[in-house]
Amino acid sequence: MGVRCGRGAAASAIVLALGASACSALGTEPPSVLDGATLTVGVKYDQPGLGLEGPDGELTGFDVDVAHYLAERMGFPPERVELAGVTSAEREKVLVGGEVDMVVATYSITQARKTEVTFGGPYYVAQQDLMVAADDTGIQGVHDLEGRRLCQARGSYSSTRVTEGLGIGAELVEAPSYSACVDALREGEVDAVSTDDLILAGFLAREPEAFRLVNSPFTQEKYGVGLPHGDVRACEVVNKAITEMYQDGTAEGLLETWFGDGDPEVLTSVPQFEGCV
Amino acid sequence: MTRPGTGERVPVRRRASTPLRVWTLTGVCLAMIAGLFSSSALALGQARDGLYVLGRDAGPRAMATTDLYLALADMDARVADVLLMGTGHDLGSGREDALERYGSSRDRANEALLQAASLTEGDSVEERNVQEVLDGMGDYERLATQARLSNDRAEAPPGEVDAAALAEYRRATRLMHTELLPKAFNLGLDSSAIVRRNHGDGQRSVALGLVWVCGAGTAALASLAGLQLYFRARFRRRFNPPLLAATAGTVALTVGVVLVLNTGSGHQHDAKEEGLDAAMALARAGALATDMQADQSRYLADPGQADAYQQVYLERAQQILFRPAENLDAYYARVDEVAAAYPDLPGGREGDGDPGTLGYLGERAQEAILPGQEHEDALAEVLECYDRLQEQDGALREAARDGDTDTAIAVRMAIADSENGTFPDCQSALDGLTELHVEAFHEGIERGEAVLSLWAWLPTAGSLALLGLVLLGVRPRLAEYR
Repeated sequence: MGVRCGRGAAASAIVLALGASACSALGTEPPSVLDGATLTVGVKYDQPGLGLEGPDGELTGFDVDVAHYLAERMGFPPERVELAGVTSAEREKVLVGGEVDMVVATYSITQARKTEVTFGGPYYVAQQDLMVAADDTGIQGVHDLEGRRLCQARGSYSSTRVTEGLGIGAELVEAPSYSACVDALREGEVDAVSTDDLILAGFLAREPEAFRLVNSPFTQEKYGVGLPHGDVRACEVVNKAITEMYQDGTAEGLLETWFGDGDPEVLTSVPQFEGCV
Repeated sequence: MTRPGTGERVPVRRRASTPLRVWTLTGVCLAMIAGLFSSSALALGQARDGLYVLGRDAGPRAMATTDLYLALADMDARVADVLLMGTGHDLGSGREDALERYGSSRDRANEALLQAASLTEGDSVEERNVQEVLDGMGDYERLATQARLSNDRAEAPPGEVDAAALAEYRRATRLMHTELLPKAFNLGLDSSAIVRRNHGDGQRSVALGLVWVCGAGTAALASLAGLQLYFRARFRRRFNPPLLAATAGTVALTVGVVLVLNTGSGHQHDAKEEGLDAAMALARAGALATDMQADQSRYLADPGQADAYQQVYLERAQQILFRPAENLDAYYARVDEVAAAYPDLPGGREGDGDPGTLGYLGERAQEAILPGQEHEDALAEVLECYDRLQEQDGALREAARDGDTDTAIAVRMAIADSENGTFPDCQSALDGLTELHVEAFHEGIERGEAVLSLWAWLPTAGSLALLGLVLLGVRPRLAEYR
């Protein structure tokens, strides 16, 4: 009897072990930020129009509104969404380190970044453009920068695209940030500032009398929604939400609200997504 | 088993209760075997459904939607070529050929839209996307036709597109690139997402089925063991051969179903990852490449926007095959290195600041590599052709910069020539590579189906045999009480 009982138990054990190994290989869905109790979103805090921290500490801007819209569609009502101000340099670090669940911070999708970050979107395709002093009519396109002074914000590639990408011999003048570049433009220390049209529009909206947007875009910057690498589930939900944001007119309304005065030609149709896998 | 209380009554009670106990235990065994049968049949049925959806339904339809972007991009490419040709109707493979191909791409786009519509049925967001592409196509065709007619009326020579025609074409291509192509691309991505979700749900329900089969098998074994122990105690029978056979049969059936579910699900996984996903990624690369090579015509046809077209050419190229490069000249050199180094891929080592060889033809093609020399050769051919395409792009832009428009147009028309042009060559090399993955997809599905079809009748036959064996084992014992 003992023998038979042992045999039965052994057979059962084999079956169970087989089943368990098979099940463990198949049954689990990879973790996702969608499963969390709250959603922490990294946004810019020093970019007018996109993500800017006000004197009361409140973050406002296009990116902030987009972040809230997306979070809502991901199942996180405003009270379960936390915003965290991030700088350009620390976006990868905080996302990979898990300090934030999602980044909506003028975060350009690049092939190199895609090895570390899964990108939903883009939610907007910005174009690189030029901003010059309002009374400077000599610059009508990027080629007019030949021999002129172009501001180079530290850590930004925008000016390199002009000099190396297009082979235009502009004189680069370095400044610590785009705010500093805009100050230099106001003071006449540089002739032009070149970066994404939305960023320029944010500055222009504050001082519409002082500056002019050239409106001659020459490259594209795809603003993506940064998610932990491999979070395909959240990425697909984000893409669907972005599609809805354009279909229900929210995107157009937000672009109008934040960039309506400074006149880049905004795109009001859903951008081409990058793909989640 | 409890001892009877008083000796006298034992025979009476034994005669009365033993058959009942035997019947009860037998009933439990039969019920457990029936449970094993139902859980097996259910799990196998789910596995078959999963394979069917991936292999015959959502999978092929998703593959068809990727054709939409390609067809739309090709339409815009043909229009740009025709405008660039102007009165030079015999340049390259000729105007007639370009117009014919425009028409067949339009038909393919409509066909792909129908597939997309059927796949996204019930999803209002995507349905609206399909509708908007459909509407947009009408507008696009109108603008494109106007542009062509204006250019014809103006009898514009090659490379000197009429101003009115150019203005109309700018509107057309802007509509194509800001409205139609993004939505088409997104629809393709969404169909991939549908397949992924179906596949994931299917795999999880099979996994749940496995748990049930394991549980039911264990319960059946326990009940059979219980019956045998009872017989041993009550009737002093060391072995009951039919019940022993039933026990062995239960183990075999359970293990068999578990193995078959596992194997089938493995085949399905391979069919999706190495077959369908890779094929769709390559199809996307081909669609982006179609748009990219058309940027050459736009660059030549619209000098006012030449910088922007050159830049988007580089951006699209970087999506197809990425190497760090700030401008096209650097990119040509990097692509040349990739083609020369293959099957090794340059870059991507820790700490050298070089992210590696990325994009659809870079790391992604490497990850999806199929066993066998054939696949490696096919990818090598694609990379070699892509390198050749970039080299000719360099020649085209150099001629254009030097003001030698005739040469630039000749290079462009040679690239696009549908008879023996570089781009159609690359496209067919890529199609060859894609086809290998499509074959792997069909093979995986067929293997899975073959494994499962063998088990279409086995659970039924096996369970009936088990039931028979149990009854056979119990019958002589019950007969003792007649």
